[in-house]
Amino acid sequence: MTAVESQPGPTDALWAESDAEAVEWLHREGCTDGLPVVVPRPELVDRMVLASGVDADVSFGIMGPGGGETTMSKVAANAVMAGCTPDHLPVVIAAIQAMLRTEFDLGEMQGTTHCIAPLLVVNGPARRWSGLVSGFGALGPGHRANASIGRALRLCMINIGMARSGESDMALLGHGGKFTSCLAEAEELSPWAPQHTDHGYRPEQSAVTVIGTEPPHSVLFTGDADDPSSAERLLATLAAALANVGSNNVYFGGGGQVVILNPEHARVLADAGLDRSDVKHRLAAMAVRPLSELARFNPAFVPPPGDDPHRPRRAVRSPDDLLVVVAGGPGLYSAVMPSWAAGANMNTSVHAEIVTGQVCEVPQSNLESRFRPMR
Amino acid sequence: MRDGIETAKRGLPTVALVTEEFWPQGDFVARAAGMPDLPRLRLPHPVAGTGEEAMTELATEIADRLVDGLRATAASSR
Repeated sequence: MTAVESQPGPTDALWAESDAEAVEWLHREGCTDGLPVVVPRPELVDRMVLASGVDADVSFGIMGPGGGETTMSKVAANAVMAGCTPDHLPVVIAAIQAMLRTEFDLGEMQGTTHCIAPLLVVNGPARRWSGLVSGFGALGPGHRANASIGRALRLCMINIGMARSGESDMALLGHGGKFTSCLAEAEELSPWAPQHTDHGYRPEQSAVTVIGTEPPHSVLFTGDADDPSSAERLLATLAAALANVGSNNVYFGGGGQVVILNPEHARVLADAGLDRSDVKHRLAAMAVRPLSELARFNPAFVPPPGDDPHRPRRAVRSPDDLLVVVAGGPGLYSAVMPSWAAGANMNTSVHAEIVTGQVCEVPQSNLESRFRPMR
Repeated sequence: MRDGIETAKRGLPTVALVTEEFWPQGDFVARAAGMPDLPRLRLPHPVAGTGEEAMTELATEIADRLVDGLRATAASSR
């Protein structure tokens, strides 16, 4: 695919009278997400590249839908713009590597009219030294690493993938998760092994799992220690959200989805003897709607019933299509994140190891520095 | 637009049908694929869901242009 010819990209040298003028230019050229960015001065980008331990010209691949070459220098420029520190960079790099895998269908995901946006789930020691938060407000404002890392990915999608609203990013409405969507799993509070071990990682390895999702749907649930049906009720509530008749999954019969359990809700399930694999299997079996019910809403998207109009349509084709993550503060609410459930690979999750050995110490300078020495 | 690109790449005479609201994306996708001049017809938006009568009327209206476009791409590929 040839790259779209357009205005200068982030690795072309541009000149401005001031930072403020530079920011205005970046806004006008569609290089921002609408919010102010850190001006990607050459010295900041060079520092970020240096700290990555990866050569500036290394390419991670072609990013759709525009077909831009995803070089380390471009990733670094977007990370600077997003407000990242070098501590955040290994997570950004791993997420880029994961998202450019063919099976993620990033180009198609960017272009769809659906509101899908990539969610990043980080596991392992990288959470700590990058400063990622897994507790209260993990997907909300106020957490620098969560906000900046997610935003760096989005700015890459805009400036390298060339996604622009109404032209190449056709999301009809969009939502806040398209600015940033990144959290750490609350491994220490989870009753189960870290979720990246489901993808073959050792607990002591760091990894980022990426999946395209809708924004979180809040799921209300209150347990009762005297009620032996608590766990079943929680599973049923989550399953109903996974198979909700407004989302694509139940119509298209599958696609990845994410369940984010707060630590209290995870405990309800664990105390009933369920591990994460059990939870995935039960949810996959329970997240169904009969075709006859779906036909009341969107007959155009319902397969022919055949002999049995009450045949159940699964919202989750396989338990492996679900991510079950423990995060958020304890309390009444967990979340379900349905998806686009489309693309050649049907909205599958991808993952990549977060490699930290390459990150170097960046020398302090006389300038006010946001950078801390690497551990 | 992507469907049109895929069929054109297979050497089949192709005219893409793109509705008004997606016309800019059609341009973008064609450029990104290196086929900026891929023949396309601009249709009103929406077409999907407008009912059989409206779609039949639209199809009748564009049929001649569509056939002309297909003949032109077939001729130019010889």
